[in-house]
Amino acid sequence: MKQGDALYAALLAREFPAQTLLRYRSELRRLPCVVIQGEPPLQNVISANKIASALGIEPGMTKVEVEAFPAVTMLRRSLEEERTAKAVLLECAGNFSPRIEDVSQDGIFLCVLEISGTEKLFGPPLALAKNLLSHVRTLGVGASIAISHNFHTAVAMAKGTSAPNIRCIAKGDETGALSLLPLTVLEMTEEQAEIFSLWGIRTLGELAHLPEKELVSRMGQAGKCLRQMARGEFPHLLQPLEPDFTLEESMQLDSPVELLDALLFVVNIMLEQLIFRATARVLALTSITMHLTLEEGARHVCTIQPALPTNDRQLLLKLLHLELETHPPSAAILTVALKAESGSTGKMQFGLFSPQLPEPSRLDVTLARIRALVGEGNVGRAVLQDTHRMDGRGMEAFRVPARPRAIVEQPPPARSAMRMVRPPEIAWVTLQSKRPKTFLFRGRCYAVEHAYGPWIVSGEWWAATLWGIEQWDLVARTPDGQMLCCCMVRDPMREEWKMVALYD
Amino acid sequence: MTSHYVELHAASAFSFLQAASQPESLIERAVELEMPAMALLDHNGVYGSARFHTSARRNDICAHVGAEISVSSFGSRLAPPAWLPHQHPAEPAKLPLLCESRLGYRNLCQLITRFKMRETTKNDGAATFDDLETHAQGLICLTGGDEGPLAAALMRGGEEAGRSSVEQLIRIFGRDNVYVELQRHQEREEEWRNQAALRIARSLRLPVIATNGVRYAMAYEREILDLFTAIRHHIPLDQAGGLLATNNRRYLRSAQEMSALFHNVPVSVENTVDLSSRLRFELNDLGYQFPCYPVPGGETMDSFLRKRVAEGVVRRYGPKKDHALMHRAKKQVAQELALIEKLGFAGYFLIVWDIVEYCKRNDILIQGRGSAANSAVCYALEITAIDPVGMDLLFERFLSESRNEWPDIDLDLPSGEKREQAIQYMYQRYGELGAAMTANVTTYHQRSAARQVGKALGFDEESLGRLSNLTGLWEWRSKDETMAHSFQHAGFDLNHPRVAKYVELSMRIQDLPRNLSQHSGGMVICQGQLNHIVPLERAAMPGRTVVQWDKEDCADLGIVKVDLLGLGMMAVMHDCLQLIPRHYGDAVDLAHLPEDKSVYRTLQQADTVGMFQIESRAQMASLPRNKPDRFYDLVVQVAIIRPGPIVGQMMHPYMRRRQKKEPVTYPHPSLEPILKRTLGVPLFQEQLLRMAMTVANFTGAEADELRRAVGMRRSWERMKNLEAKLHAGMIANGIDSGTQDAIVQNISSFALYGFPESHAASFALIAYASAYFKVKYLAAFTCAMLNNQPMGFYSGAVLVKDAQRHGLRVKPIDVQRSDWCCALEREGNGALSLRLGLRYVKGFPHQLAETIMASRKNEGMFHSPEDFAQRVPELGKKDLTHLAQIGALNSLDGIHHRRDALWQMERAAKPEGPLLQGRPESLREESDVLPLRQMTTEERLVADYAGTGLTVGKHPMFYRRPELRQQGSLSAEELRYRRDGEFVKTVGCVIARQRPGTAKGFIFISMEDETGIANIVVTPDLYDRNRLTVTRSRFLMVEGSLQNQDGTIHVKAMRLAPFVHEKVEVQSHDFH
Repeated sequence: MKQGDALYAALLAREFPAQTLLRYRSELRRLPCVVIQGEPPLQNVISANKIASALGIEPGMTKVEVEAFPAVTMLRRSLEEERTAKAVLLECAGNFSPRIEDVSQDGIFLCVLEISGTEKLFGPPLALAKNLLSHVRTLGVGASIAISHNFHTAVAMAKGTSAPNIRCIAKGDETGALSLLPLTVLEMTEEQAEIFSLWGIRTLGELAHLPEKELVSRMGQAGKCLRQMARGEFPHLLQPLEPDFTLEESMQLDSPVELLDALLFVVNIMLEQLIFRATARVLALTSITMHLTLEEGARHVCTIQPALPTNDRQLLLKLLHLELETHPPSAAILTVALKAESGSTGKMQFGLFSPQLPEPSRLDVTLARIRALVGEGNVGRAVLQDTHRMDGRGMEAFRVPARPRAIVEQPPPARSAMRMVRPPEIAWVTLQSKRPKTFLFRGRCYAVEHAYGPWIVSGEWWAATLWGIEQWDLVARTPDGQMLCCCMVRDPMREEWKMVALYD
Repeated sequence: MTSHYVELHAASAFSFLQAASQPESLIERAVELEMPAMALLDHNGVYGSARFHTSARRNDICAHVGAEISVSSFGSRLAPPAWLPHQHPAEPAKLPLLCESRLGYRNLCQLITRFKMRETTKNDGAATFDDLETHAQGLICLTGGDEGPLAAALMRGGEEAGRSSVEQLIRIFGRDNVYVELQRHQEREEEWRNQAALRIARSLRLPVIATNGVRYAMAYEREILDLFTAIRHHIPLDQAGGLLATNNRRYLRSAQEMSALFHNVPVSVENTVDLSSRLRFELNDLGYQFPCYPVPGGETMDSFLRKRVAEGVVRRYGPKKDHALMHRAKKQVAQELALIEKLGFAGYFLIVWDIVEYCKRNDILIQGRGSAANSAVCYALEITAIDPVGMDLLFERFLSESRNEWPDIDLDLPSGEKREQAIQYMYQRYGELGAAMTANVTTYHQRSAARQVGKALGFDEESLGRLSNLTGLWEWRSKDETMAHSFQHAGFDLNHPRVAKYVELSMRIQDLPRNLSQHSGGMVICQGQLNHIVPLERAAMPGRTVVQWDKEDCADLGIVKVDLLGLGMMAVMHDCLQLIPRHYGDAVDLAHLPEDKSVYRTLQQADTVGMFQIESRAQMASLPRNKPDRFYDLVVQVAIIRPGPIVGQMMHPYMRRRQKKEPVTYPHPSLEPILKRTLGVPLFQEQLLRMAMTVANFTGAEADELRRAVGMRRSWERMKNLEAKLHAGMIANGIDSGTQDAIVQNISSFALYGFPESHAASFALIAYASAYFKVKYLAAFTCAMLNNQPMGFYSGAVLVKDAQRHGLRVKPIDVQRSDWCCALEREGNGALSLRLGLRYVKGFPHQLAETIMASRKNEGMFHSPEDFAQRVPELGKKDLTHLAQIGALNSLDGIHHRRDALWQMERAAKPEGPLLQGRPESLREESDVLPLRQMTTEERLVADYAGTGLTVGKHPMFYRRPELRQQGSLSAEELRYRRDGEFVKTVGCVIARQRPGTAKGFIFISMEDETGIANIVVTPDLYDRNRLTVTRSRFLMVEGSLQNQDGTIHVKAMRLAPFVHEKVEVQSHDFH
């Protein structure tokens, strides 16, 4: 198709976050409503309905500022609902043309439909636009449409005019139609906007009238493009949306399955299908989520993520197997569904002289086995955190160090070793002169011979997570003479004693 | 029990972000704990010692002096080992030192000065073993807590290293002067170090001593310390991790607590008392002596001064040809000299005289102000310009025998280079270690506290910026306008715990010291030995050194200072004295300006924009009432618009009497000679002194003591005694009790804020000179004012508009003609006009202006835009755009208007390739079409205000006048002709907003239009309803009733609305 034959309809919905949330809340539509985003205490208005805007509420206001206006309903932004609403609108637009480009920005829904050749189906462009708008309206969203033979003209017109709802620009009228629109409808860098502002260029018409050669000598090719856009002459190659490529397989089992082996037999076949489809697109599987429907309506979900994207069926099956072993379903299985995420095939180039590392897929299996044994969050590399907290430790995934440490440190001086009790166990302590005298731990009674402490540590007083503890090092003995050297802590806020470590 | 412990290792907030309590709070806590003595050891200095000492004396506590010194030779201070995650930067270990004797204090000061001055810029610095060895005498050292050398050595190399570090201390300070320090903050890591320290002490037979390494007075102040740590390391609290304190145990503990903590080493607590009794030095024993002035052989300072004064008397009084005056002057001078001699102050007068002489030799205007103008000696030495004998001023206000303090002479110099020259002369004359500026302690105030705390709590920049705009806006604040309100107005949710904490912390850190800077003019001098008295350090400004105390501290400790203050108006005077002879051909002498009727007429009309001291809104409002017609009226005018007379309700009686609306009466007939010239209303401190002397037979010294007692609210006991004496004296003089009460009331209500007459007279001299220059030499005066901005009450924009209204032609910035400074040009008709200088191009570098000027001088005018861009290649695109925008390129050939310049400059600023380099014609375009429209009037205004902060074109309001007239809005000029009480509407550009502390929440707004300035009064209620309109609007529409009383015109606003004037960014002078 030649460029000039194309016909574009730009569909635009303003204040999209607010419109999205009010779609299903019809009772709020006649009230001033704003959408706020951000984490408390820093929340700002991102979008507002017309009634709220008429009150003087502007994007960027804080929650407290909005509270100064009477009876304004505040809704939290829901990206999920926006995504759904967008999908619904795109689907609706898809009923009128298969070729749609999504050019939405934050807070605005904007898509362009290529509608050339649809006259026989939907009538002239104006009729199509009306039809499309009424469909969109039934979805609970207010929108406007601009139609032009030039893509950017349609977009600029949609952005630049709010009334009437439908604008149709005849071929050849683009420059004239655009001339009164403000420059802000074009996407440009801050620097370009500043130059135009200095030159007193405020409308597309003024930009369109600048001499081309002189403009190029000042702003380069970018200036030329903007000028062409302002004249409605800039060509555009439509990049239509494509349906998502999803990797999903599901199966209703003939009879409830209880045995893992039987389930894995089915899963193996499904995996084969997924891998086949992924391989066809030169992709590999990065994660697989298994959804199981169980007897009595229960559901079971588990996910595996190999270290590298892979199409190795045996490996994936093994990982699923281990995962199911670690977290077995609670009842017999009725249906099984697999959903896979795809990514590029794994590639990793090791240096010729770099040390031999275990094969990633085998390491994955090993780690999964360990995780099955010791639990999630207990596998990896233990790291200390920069804090005074006693539990200031964390785990991080194993990784190949970027480069060996340059500084070889002296090992810390030898100290007596201790075993941390994890999680700390509650102990019952009796005190004398505010110092531990006896305590009950793991069912045995100990008399304290020596008590050192308390060592006082506290922190995070500025946050809700504030904490404070008293540590005591105790040397204690059971009545039968068995000695215990240990570290106990008292949480003064909860008035609770816990055993945290035992000294060897 | 409680008296058995003395805290010998405490730091105050003067350790700048390393401790959290004011020295006074530490003393307050020590009093509560009944601690008999305490030592303050701030980091690398004695910054807090003066206040600590003053507060301790007041509470009968012995304040020991010391410091915690960074010593680089000991290596880094204790930090977590590298294998642990931590963010501790490497810092040298800190050694606690205590002064045993004055020698020790001197050594400490010299030690700190030595390593501080070794730095080339303002830096923390650190001492070396060599420094310590040189200055060890008289000092006692402790081994420190976790920041000390022993802890660092123990961590680094175990007990062996620890022992050798202590041995090193013994070698430096001597076995008797080293104490092994133990601290117990209930931190696990600390205890093994304590055990090691105990073994080391035992093996080296050293005494151990318990301290708590105090960083704050009360446990809950740990929060402030943590906050300061976060601020110091530029890191939010959430990420500060191990940098923060482990717990809150570094507070000032009682003897009981310390004994319990060190129950197994009781001797360590007992030793604190022993050591405290060894420390005999306190700050009142500084041994400060004012420097001598070098006099020729055979002379003493007194005889030398006597001669200089005798010469001065002849020089000053001779030309007046008044024998009686000369006789009185000689008598007065003799009296003063006798007292000066008796008090031993000759050196001080000679030193100040020397500065004045230097300034005279080097063409630097200088004038003494303050109570020094009461002294005939100062007048004779040409330190001051007011004749105290002729004006019958009271010497006792300046100097009295009983006062036991140095005289205070403040010198005004032109701000800028000339003042710096005088300061550098002082350094040169008295040596780098002989003179230094006094410090100025920057403390946290509302705005800085809110910003810093916000950052530490992890709030975003945008919210903080919004908050900054709203906090601490006005001088006056009502009870309900708290910081919490500001937070709420800035959009913070006070119910959120983090925000609540934010507000709390912001309030708690207010007034705590943040850093030390230099005072604007106070210099202390001590003949090459200032570093024996107080440590010196580098100031941020090159070539300046600063002492570690501020001027109040210096005054408290009896250190004399000379104030070399920069006064913008002095610089204006200086410039006028250059410009007037050059452009008008008139010789002017500041000391002999004629009394001129036209000048007083102008003053009476309150046409005083730009004039020194009498240009504020309040001054303008009172000038038509006061109607000054001689110099003394101006003296009163300068003094009367002050918080004192206003609060003391002196202003209105005086004005009514002046307008003859009220008879002139005196509380007692005997007071008539004293109060006559102020129409029976006491206005000046000198009058207060004389009143006491007349009615109650006080001596001069007693009267001055009364003035000082009234001034100090806390000394009510002393005041009571003096009041009784006053009454007794009055009874003796037969004054009835009603009159007595009236007189006492007069004295006490006024004296608090009273103004010395001498000071008012000194200022009135400058005020008259500025008025004279403005009336007679408007072009020169305006030019000088513009070249010395910012100064005074109004911005350059207002000064330009005012000058234009008075008929001066002001021409725009032009790269073909403008220099850096504004200059005068002669017009074709012979009149003078003013050319704005490139300094008014916002953000334009001085250096670039010099390059433009040099190019013009060497190669002549610029021929074209291309020629300009090529001859001044340093000009970036931004500069060229800036110049084009404000019309500074319009006179270049081929440029038709500002937009055309912008269009051409966009091309000229593109660097051309090597082929076309050096050929300006290559940039020329073929087409001559001007593609861009000329700027509209509005756009030009916006560009002018945005680019230069002012416009030489018509006032923005001029363009809106027809429209405004239709709406029934009046101009400032038209308001003058309306009746009192009439309902009016006016619109103008806000040039100043003020909410004075004395006005009970009323806000005064000055609005300018093309005809003049209108004054608006906003009631607190109206402000509450229109907060943002009042604080933010650049243009304002006001409706309300007109108050036209005695030629003073105000509009009492009833309705306010912002007036939209597109994007014109005018600057208002808001008094925060």
